[in-house]
Amino acid sequence: MKNDFRNGFIANIPIGFSVAAYGSVCGMMSSQAGVEFYEMLLMNIFIFAGSSQMLMVEMWSDSLDVLGIILAAIMINLRYFLIGASLSSLFKKSTSKQKMAYMHLCADENWAVTIARAKKEAITPLFLFGGGVCLLLIWSASTSMGYVLGEFITDPSKYALDFAFVAIFTALTFNMYHDKNNLLPWLIAAFVAIISEHFIAGKFYIVLGALAGSFSAIYLHKDTLNE
Amino acid sequence: MSEIDLNALFIIFCVALGTYSLRYMGLVFSNSLSNEGKVKIFLDYLPATLLLSLIAPAILKEGVLGFVATVFIAFCMYKTKSILASMVLGVVIVAIGRNFI
Repeated sequence: MKNDFRNGFIANIPIGFSVAAYGSVCGMMSSQAGVEFYEMLLMNIFIFAGSSQMLMVEMWSDSLDVLGIILAAIMINLRYFLIGASLSSLFKKSTSKQKMAYMHLCADENWAVTIARAKKEAITPLFLFGGGVCLLLIWSASTSMGYVLGEFITDPSKYALDFAFVAIFTALTFNMYHDKNNLLPWLIAAFVAIISEHFIAGKFYIVLGALAGSFSAIYLHKDTLNE
Repeated sequence: MSEIDLNALFIIFCVALGTYSLRYMGLVFSNSLSNEGKVKIFLDYLPATLLLSLIAPAILKEGVLGFVATVFIAFCMYKTKSILASMVLGVVIVAIGRNFI
C-alpha cells in the first residue's frame, strides 16, 4: 500500500515526457507574453492545470483583463469537477483530510493514468498523489527551461509544438476505448463540442460536449443495466 | 524585473482557488450520489467524452493534417500502447505538414 506513492510516481514518468514537451511550450509562451518568472511558478504550484495556464498565458498582456482571464481559466477547469467525481470510488475509504491533501495535485495526466490502473488492480489515492508529485516536478522544470529558451525560439508553431497537447489528449482518449458501445456517445460528444465551439464564445464547449456524450450514453446503454 | 503586479497575483489567486474548489467539490459531491446504474454509466463515459470535447474542435481547425495526425495517433496507440510515441508521431506529422506541404 505504501508503495502506491512510488508506483504512481513511476507510472507517470512516461507521460511525463509529453508533459515536459507541453511544459516547455507553455514556458516559452510565458516568457514571450511577458509573464514574470515568479508568476509562472505560482501558477505551476497553486493552479497546476496545464491547459488553463496555457490559456491564461495566451490572454496575458500589459493591461490584464482580470475578470475575462479568471472566467476563461475556471471555465476550462470546470472539467475538474467531473474528474473529481470520477475518482469517488478511489477515495471511498479516505478521510476528508486525505481528500483535501491529495486532490490538489490531480491533473489530466495522472488522473488518466490512475483511472487506467484502477481498472486493473486495487490502488489507493496515494497512487494519484505520487503521480501528481512526479508531474509537478516535471512541469516546473520544463516550464522553467522553456521560459529561458523562450527568447531563442521565435516561432513554436513551426515545429507544431502547439499541437503537442492535442496529440497527448488524443492518445489518452484512444487509450480509453473499450468496445463499439463507446463509438456513438463519443461521436455525439465530439459533434456537440465542435458545434458549440463554433457558436458559443468561451470554453463552454468542453463541458457541453462531455455532458451531451455522457447523457447520451445513459440513454443508449440503459438496457445494459438490466443484465 | 518590474514591480509586483497585483492584478496578476489576484488573477492567479482566484484561478487557483476556483480550480482547487472544483477538484475537491467534484470528489465530495459525487460521494453523496449513488454509484449505481445511470450514474455509473454517466461517470464511466465522462473522462473520454471530456477529452474528446477538448480536442475535437482543435483537430478540426488543423484541417486534413489534423485528421491524418489523429488517425496515425490512434493507430500508433493501438499498436504500441505508448502515449509518448503516439504524441511524438502526431507532432512530427503536423510539423512536417506545416513546413513541407
